[in-house]
Amino acid sequence: MGESSNRTRIVLNVNNEKYEIETEPHKTLLEVLREKLDLTGAKEGCGLGSCGACTVLVDGEPVLSCLTLAVEVQNRPIVTIEGLFKDGHPHPLQRSFVECGAIQCGYCTPGMILSAKALLEEKRNPSRKEIQEALSGNLCRCTGYNKIVKAIESVIKG
Amino acid sequence: MTNYLNVGQPQPRIDGLEKATGEARYTGDLKLPRMLIGKLLVSPHPHARILNIDFSKALTLLGVKAVVTGVDLSGQKYGPFRSRRDETGLARDKVRYIGDPVAAVCAKDEETALEAIELIRVEYEELPAIFDVEEAMQEGSPLIHEEYKTNICAQRHFNFGDVEEGFNSSSHIREDHFFSQGLSHGALEPRAALAHLDPSGRLTLWTGTQSPYNVRQDLSLVLGLPASKIRVIKPFVGGGYGGKGGLSSHEVAASLLAIKTRQPVKISLNREEEISMTRLRHPMSVYVKTGVRNDGAIMAQYVKCIANGGAYACTSVMVAYNSGLTCLIPYRISNFKYDGYVIYTNRPMSGPMRGHGANQPRFAVESQLDMIAEDIGLDPAELRLRNATQKGDTSVNGLLFRSCELSRAIREATGASGWKQKRSRKETNRGIGIACGGFVSGARAGSHTASSCFVQVNEEGGVVLSTGSSDIGQGSDTTLAQIAAEVLGLSPSDITVVSGDTETTPIDPGTFSSRVTFYAGNAAMRAASEVKHLLAETAAKFMEANVEDIEFRDHKVFVKHAPDKEMAFRKLAELTISSGHGRSVIGKGQWAPSNTQFPDRTTCYGNVSGAYSFAAQVAEVEVDTTTGEVRLQKVTIADDCGQVVNVLGAEGQAEGSISMGQGHALMEKILFGDRGQIMNPSFSEYKIPTAADMAGVSFLGVGLPDPEGPYGAKEIGEGLLISTLPAITNAIYDAVGVRITELPVRPEKILEGLRKK
Repeated sequence: MGESSNRTRIVLNVNNEKYEIETEPHKTLLEVLREKLDLTGAKEGCGLGSCGACTVLVDGEPVLSCLTLAVEVQNRPIVTIEGLFKDGHPHPLQRSFVECGAIQCGYCTPGMILSAKALLEEKRNPSRKEIQEALSGNLCRCTGYNKIVKAIESVIKG
Repeated sequence: MTNYLNVGQPQPRIDGLEKATGEARYTGDLKLPRMLIGKLLVSPHPHARILNIDFSKALTLLGVKAVVTGVDLSGQKYGPFRSRRDETGLARDKVRYIGDPVAAVCAKDEETALEAIELIRVEYEELPAIFDVEEAMQEGSPLIHEEYKTNICAQRHFNFGDVEEGFNSSSHIREDHFFSQGLSHGALEPRAALAHLDPSGRLTLWTGTQSPYNVRQDLSLVLGLPASKIRVIKPFVGGGYGGKGGLSSHEVAASLLAIKTRQPVKISLNREEEISMTRLRHPMSVYVKTGVRNDGAIMAQYVKCIANGGAYACTSVMVAYNSGLTCLIPYRISNFKYDGYVIYTNRPMSGPMRGHGANQPRFAVESQLDMIAEDIGLDPAELRLRNATQKGDTSVNGLLFRSCELSRAIREATGASGWKQKRSRKETNRGIGIACGGFVSGARAGSHTASSCFVQVNEEGGVVLSTGSSDIGQGSDTTLAQIAAEVLGLSPSDITVVSGDTETTPIDPGTFSSRVTFYAGNAAMRAASEVKHLLAETAAKFMEANVEDIEFRDHKVFVKHAPDKEMAFRKLAELTISSGHGRSVIGKGQWAPSNTQFPDRTTCYGNVSGAYSFAAQVAEVEVDTTTGEVRLQKVTIADDCGQVVNVLGAEGQAEGSISMGQGHALMEKILFGDRGQIMNPSFSEYKIPTAADMAGVSFLGVGLPDPEGPYGAKEIGEGLLISTLPAITNAIYDAVGVRITELPVRPEKILEGLRKK
């Protein structure tokens, strides 16, 4: 059978906007963000929570949206990469990633920036080791991570 | 080195902000009205004849629109090389590995498509399968492609000088065996394709490909559709490293489904499919025999490589050649013999992966050189210096080294890393190792090899650069913008780069073999120079000067020797475009090196590239002798890539290469089951380096401008990776005296090695 009749209405709070959507309970937050809300910044890299490309922030915490059900996060503040670029002004992390050469193919970048944002909101002055640990759930195959770490350190220095 | 305003500077990516804000659209992000989702059905058998495919039940499912199989294809085979086309996209007569695509379904959503896949019934007649290369090479073993009458997919042989004579005059000879494992590219973006047929029968395919024109050409063959009715567009690509090169099954399937349904069809591979049904780095065994004189000079070398090519040829013939080629780039060897084989087996196909057949023999040769150095009591770096290729050399197989700073690279890498002090230290678990290598800046292809660019200036002085080369994340768009900006005295932010669209960008082989900066960079220089000349003619008229005296810099034009005469570039553009009846300011550039030859098929003689990069890498490791774990601490790279165009880009390539080499050396391995299937097709089981594994990197540019390269630039995309792995394994030996000859290094192997001592 191709037709699902168990849809439910939920309210998602994404980037300070409320969205009322209809979805099946088993749909992941990643699927809903990308397919229903057209917020394609969060990516599917593995579908199993091993790569971090789907990272978004829920209540300020980094969350693997491919392993999170949309219904689980109703009404809780969700931040995606699209929420960081306000009124034509990039977030300091976005600017720093660009200027430091921390972006190559860019596929890991949204998840990486959000993980970094969560870290900097938790710790004002993390050590290099702490930065590396905090990002260890976001895989990158292009950069070797060196400039990503530098970009974050550059934001800390201010 | 000349000081340029753009070239040689650290330049952030011109598409960086799009990527940082999530606005960059990759193929999987694209959506079209009435779009259907497609899924592939693959073979559960390693080798079987297809007797019947019954998809009637699948079609009865609500929301399923169409099913396609191999019978919907033209019957023509395709492949990256004309000489060996053995792929059909969807299996037609046989399946040749577990994971070989057999059919494809499209439906209103992914779940329905997946349900439909389950309802397709395929009848197979299983055939005997082979997975081992030695077995597959035997006479009488089951043939994977009957038409070739052998399972030897590709072979190349080099025989230069007189190796017998060379070994006879050697005072020390070593013979060693090495094995390098199968690897997955690990691009964060799994592959995807979106196809759409318009009412007039023109097909558009959006796909994250390295070579849009090659995809168009092969798609034309396999669909039986003229190439001029096919448009291939490359959106943003989330990494390729060679794996997104030629036409692939999901692209064929999406196109077929779009043609059948007249609706757009998108197929996105998941990670399991991405690892198990796409290309791998060739697992390869390497045998090396090297003879040296008392002073360490290499007198003769014999290398034999046997690679497991999997079920389809892909670029294996190039791998067979490259494995021999790599041995003759960094060192002067007058007597050299090489036998290279790639063998068909019933496993997923091997294909191009960054380094393309050079990595495995490089590991073998660099390891053995260290072993020889120890045998004869010579410092490993000194041994390399005594054999290093020099500028002006011609190798025995005809390679012309018109620029080469390898000796300088070795000195600088060892100097900067503190080689001497660290080699003589007493610490028993820290080690330092060196390896060298060199790589082509694009290789002469048998068919279309040149690159072309267009440059167009608008009435506000804005510039559009159009190229068929693909930016797959390596930053070629930015590099080309820097080059065009340098010619025209502008900034890269004034240049918009349009790349990878077969309808609007000029024909180009694409991105592989580290060719883009070298070939497309030169084409961009020519196109920009044509435009510069056009503008200079107008400037000369208005400023009453000679055309030759017009200079472009700082967004203005000046007259040499008349410093008060100047005009804004913007104004000049406006004047030129509005002159007479109105003009267009467009330049065209096309370029290929003039001194290359396609290597002779029998002798393999020929200068295959216009320029070669060189590098020396020094790796430092720490080994935990209790657990056997190896930690890569730091890598110092001294790189001769000629003139560095983008400093940020070059460092990024170095750092990324080190991470990939670290994975190759210490972590990654494709595990094959007893029926050739990939047992670990996920990131949790196939582990690639994380930020926690990050090593310190010191990058030193030691090159001098190459006479052929754009502003003297050479490649940097692949040459660095090939020497990272052996630098690490040599460092491990220096640390704990354990020589790993079969990759990857694992804690168990270290502990076993320590026990044996």
